[in-house]
Amino acid sequence: MIAFATATTKPDVYRRCAEPGIARAAEPDSVVRAMPSIGSIFASYNALLDEFSGREDLEALVLIHQDAEIIDPDFCQIIRRALADPEVGLVGCVGAVGVRSIAWWEASVTLASFVNRYQEHGGGDLASFSWEWEEAPAYARTGEVETLDGFVLVVSPWVVRNLRFDESLGQFHGYDLDFCLQVRAAGRRVITADFRAVHHRQLEMLPDPEEWTEAHVKVAEKWDGEMGIGTGHGSWRERALRAEADADAALVLGYMNRLETDARVRELQAALDETTSSISWRLTAPLRRLTHTS
Amino acid sequence: MIAFGSSISGGEAYRRYAQPGVRLASEPDSVNFAYAAVEPVGRTYNLILDAAAQRDDLEALVLVHPHTEILDPGFCTKVRAALAAEEVGMVGWAGATGVRGIAWWEGEVTCAPAIHRYEEHGGGDIPSLSWTRRGTPPAEVECLDGQLLVLSPWAVRTLRFDEGLLLGHGFDLDFSLQVRAAGRRLMVADLRVAHHRSLELIADLDVWVQAHMQIAEKWSGTLDDGDMDETAWKQRARRAEARREAARTYAVSNALILDARVLELERALAEKTHSPSWRVTAPLRTLNRIRRETADRRRSNGTDPAAGRRRWD
Repeated sequence: MIAFATATTKPDVYRRCAEPGIARAAEPDSVVRAMPSIGSIFASYNALLDEFSGREDLEALVLIHQDAEIIDPDFCQIIRRALADPEVGLVGCVGAVGVRSIAWWEASVTLASFVNRYQEHGGGDLASFSWEWEEAPAYARTGEVETLDGFVLVVSPWVVRNLRFDESLGQFHGYDLDFCLQVRAAGRRVITADFRAVHHRQLEMLPDPEEWTEAHVKVAEKWDGEMGIGTGHGSWRERALRAEADADAALVLGYMNRLETDARVRELQAALDETTSSISWRLTAPLRRLTHTS
Repeated sequence: MIAFGSSISGGEAYRRYAQPGVRLASEPDSVNFAYAAVEPVGRTYNLILDAAAQRDDLEALVLVHPHTEILDPGFCTKVRAALAAEEVGMVGWAGATGVRGIAWWEGEVTCAPAIHRYEEHGGGDIPSLSWTRRGTPPAEVECLDGQLLVLSPWAVRTLRFDEGLLLGHGFDLDFSLQVRAAGRRLMVADLRVAHHRSLELIADLDVWVQAHMQIAEKWSGTLDDGDMDETAWKQRARRAEARREAARTYAVSNALILDARVLELERALAEKTHSPSWRVTAPLRTLNRIRRETADRRRSNGTDPAAGRRRWD
């Protein structure tokens, strides 16, 4: 039996995003559990692991964010194939190697089979690089990785029964990397498989930078060089000076982007204003009303 | 006598921006030290300081970047007022306190209402340093922006720019720290200027990062807490690496949001200009455009000196 579980904080988001995907992927005997969050994602996911650890018929537990939507109707077959190897502990559709911190996207990402569907500014889809295999770059591949993006995590029965999320790390950030590290430290493999999901989320990726920074430091300290986490080139002094310079450079880059975009927005807004205030636009208003009515 | 000086790498920019501003601000006895640029900028500035230091009547030396235009007819009066206190070593149009590196704008910024005038996307004006919160002058600061610096006679005769800073960034912070280390104060005054420059604030971020590290090494103990053991450096490195990745993620996230905003407007414009009514009236707009262009040509009649000239070097 393949179970699907979500820790919900916004039931309407779950109904709109995760639920349709689960309905698409689930099999007749699948258990679907939408549990109201009991605090941090670490604690909520541990409660779900506890709940399913006693199920002897468990083939996999799919931990899915309330705003993630599985696309593949044959999802269960895909993950059964992936978990056929008993050494596999976790499966996902986004993963990376060469990971040194919770910012795993700064490492070498090997698979990113998802779309970021946003609602701001009229809405849109941002497809990641392996959403369409025909357009995927040469480095896109399924297989073993060091970490997965936690928005869809497929957990093997062994992991469900033997490992837990580390609740000392905070509220949310870094839970996926830390869990992947635990699975690998326990001798199991973490892999990506060829399924896809839509992540219905806002474009703002870091709404709580202070909390994120704290989690970054905590995870780095916890693993302190193990499996590459928290490693870097040079002495601590050199690393500090380099990182401080890089951080300021990244901020400057952000300011430049903002200035550039603001200028482009002003240009487009002026073109729009010019268009809609022109004589020809005003002359043809009745024609547009007619077209709109028909 | 209030003197002006510039390190000129592109004659056109100086002619178009700095020179009109210097003319506007100058008094009858003002001297202008215009020097061809020798890299690094500190070397040219030191040539200017050497020349200005010879003048016994020097009241102030104003170092003006070629792309900076002084817009303030009362500039010299404001400079005299700002330098009236003997302990003031240097004055500028913008600066900050709480400075930890060459990105001084990450501190508490004070800034005169200056203009950033750009050419991209049809051109326009925005407030300088628009990306950060800005206090209003006067204010004492720890660092001044190097696009326009007003040096006291004491600073001209006593201090020199560090010609070892070969990367072109951070000379202003370095000189500011020298002034303060010598016991003098830095002030931001209400000096009105325009910066004629691209929206690209820093052309080569890799070089800028190197300069950031160079200045941090040179001023360790001033820009940071000084003597630190291995444990303290490790903590600092951990936090800095977290902050770096947060900043990078923020930059990517922000770029996505901004792109979505542009896309929304592009869609709206395309929708309007691809409508049947817009296409039907295309001949009318063409006629109007020809009429406007003909009128413009008649008006300028080939006498506009700026016609056809590039605005940038």
